[in-house]
Amino acid sequence: MTAYLIRRVLQSILVVFISAVATYVLLSFAPGGPMAGLRQIQQSGRFKITEEDIARIRASFELDLNLWVRFSRWLIGAPNGPVTIGGQEYFADMVVGCRKPIEAEVLNSNGIPEIIVVGCKENVYMKDLVGRRTSRGILFGDFGLSWRILRDRPVSDLIESRLSKTLQLIGLETILSLVIGIPLGIYSAVRQYSKFDYIFTTLAFMGSAMPSFFFGLLLILMFSIIPKGAGLPYIPAGLSESVRDYTIPLIGDVVAGSLKDRTLHMILPVTVLTLINIAGWSRFIRASMLDVLRQDYVRTARAKGLREITVIMKHALRNALIPFVTIVVFTIPGLFSGAIITESIFAWPGMGRLYILALGDYDYPVAMAIFFILAVLTVIATLLRDIIYTLVDPRIRLT
Amino acid sequence: MTVSAPIEKLQAEAITIEERSPFQVVLRRFVRHRLAMISMAVMIIIFIITILAPYITTYKVDEINVNNYFVPFGTVDPDTGRVHYLGTDNIGRDYFSRLIYAGRISLTVALLSVFISEIVGVVVGAVSGFYGKWVDAVLMRFVEFMLTVPTLPLLLIISSMLLRNEDLIPIPESVLNFVGKIMLLNPRDTRNAVLIVVVLAGFGWLSAAQLMRGTVLSLREQTFVEASRSLGGTNIWIIMKHMIPNAMAPIIVDASLALAGYVVAEAALAFLGFGIQDPVPTWGNMLSATQTYMFDKPWLPLLPGIPIFICSLAFNYIGDGLRDALDPRLKL
Repeated sequence: MTAYLIRRVLQSILVVFISAVATYVLLSFAPGGPMAGLRQIQQSGRFKITEEDIARIRASFELDLNLWVRFSRWLIGAPNGPVTIGGQEYFADMVVGCRKPIEAEVLNSNGIPEIIVVGCKENVYMKDLVGRRTSRGILFGDFGLSWRILRDRPVSDLIESRLSKTLQLIGLETILSLVIGIPLGIYSAVRQYSKFDYIFTTLAFMGSAMPSFFFGLLLILMFSIIPKGAGLPYIPAGLSESVRDYTIPLIGDVVAGSLKDRTLHMILPVTVLTLINIAGWSRFIRASMLDVLRQDYVRTARAKGLREITVIMKHALRNALIPFVTIVVFTIPGLFSGAIITESIFAWPGMGRLYILALGDYDYPVAMAIFFILAVLTVIATLLRDIIYTLVDPRIRLT
Repeated sequence: MTVSAPIEKLQAEAITIEERSPFQVVLRRFVRHRLAMISMAVMIIIFIITILAPYITTYKVDEINVNNYFVPFGTVDPDTGRVHYLGTDNIGRDYFSRLIYAGRISLTVALLSVFISEIVGVVVGAVSGFYGKWVDAVLMRFVEFMLTVPTLPLLLIISSMLLRNEDLIPIPESVLNFVGKIMLLNPRDTRNAVLIVVVLAGFGWLSAAQLMRGTVLSLREQTFVEASRSLGGTNIWIIMKHMIPNAMAPIIVDASLALAGYVVAEAALAFLGFGIQDPVPTWGNMLSATQTYMFDKPWLPLLPGIPIFICSLAFNYIGDGLRDALDPRLKL
């Protein structure tokens, strides 16, 4: 068991590392970013931008450093200067980047002019890194600075302000789905082929085929736009709280930012997430219950003369929940990432929306930070799943 | 049982069963699944409509009717006499024509993605399961690795990157021309769509590979494989002749369920702004582009949403029906 755990943890670290490298490299090749806008200003000729300015701005975004140096500074906050061992400096003259690249315009394979770097006028050496502003590294909890969304402010500020919104949404949704979904699944399985089971399976089937963005739009239309137009009580949609005070028929005046306001805004997104989740989860519970109810030990329990409720809750349900645990564990990364799509429909200012915003707005430090945390959480969830699996079901042995 | 039936005939019926080929058995079981049959009919109609797109539609995909934004249903253009059956969108393009062309593009993307991902999945899974040892270890570690990384965020990173740097993955001219002919797009716009196929299939083959591997692992121990080997069957022969045909049932079911997944995934990417871009119409990007007009013209985002839901539901039911028909014991 210990050997297995150690191996799995090492594997998990490797997964996180490789995916971090891969996405970092991918994003560093993505065009756009802070330099693209600068180049446009330079070409428009409105402002005079000297080579020195460009070099300074490149340095402030660390774009003058080689990819691996940048990555390592992002990950662990090193190197930030020559290594000093026993009063002796090492690697002081090592080239770690290029301050002023020589650029040339060439035609690419499609005949479109493209600017590529052909050489370097002025190198950046390891000793130049001394005194530069640097993050302590994402591994030590420093996510660096945002490029665009909150320029030059720490990414952690952004994440902090968004995280609580996502936690509210996903936390409530998960609890509701568990409380409603599990009993539904059990009841449907116990009353297999009943009218209830038939209606339930049909609805659940449709629910799992329903794309969340379409479902969200339908709900906004049905509960927000149409009733509002007809002068009936409606549920506000969009954002997590309103900007101005408003009045809803029957419910009365709502002060912007009050508890009432925030609760009203949560109803629709939570409904979308919960209903879609219930559809998936309760179908799973139903299938797994049906499986268990056919087992010999359930028949034995019944033969012993136990009450049906005891048989179902104690003998069947406990075993049926084992595979379900593996699914529930994966809400952990969900708690953090939120529901990217649902947050986008309702303009909910949570993590998922921040991620989309960061990718669309070339704010790569923010996108990378979120992706990194997500990768860590997903890997932890995978690990937890396998461990919990053996804890709740002694028949499974890890090797 | 009717009393008037002659006794000899009843006895004969009781002991003889009409001979049916395995295909007939499957077909019979599939036909009995009513919802799957309805879904099949619906999908056939949708496919026919999208195939006939150029003959049904009144406008070209990107034809802009200047100064005719948001015209209501059934408006007739006074100059040309053509009808905007479903009105026009925010920049005066015929909504009906765009919806039908969008269907053609969305469905082609989904079909191509399924085709590629299932083929890759079947090959990788078969090789991995059949050869075992280090081949299996390497391939399956890779699959597991890819499955541990959060999918949607990575999908978004990759597609946002590819969309801004379209030449990063070289796609042969002939492929672009071929796909462009199916989608009725010029090669430039086709590249965008093909990149999305690459991204979707790039993640989709993983589950198909795991499924195939599992099936092959159990098939490998069967006696007919042993028989084939003792008769001198080579590995390639056994894989092609025994493994793949025998593992087809779960793969076909997986493919039809995956088809539903791809229709939704393509739309979701487009909805988030990282899918196929305007002016190429897809159901997803039409929905996302008109989302802002939700308040006064709700039909604009709803119309493209309906076929997404219908296709997703229909492919799911077809998959369900196929599973029941091909192998009732199968759980997927």
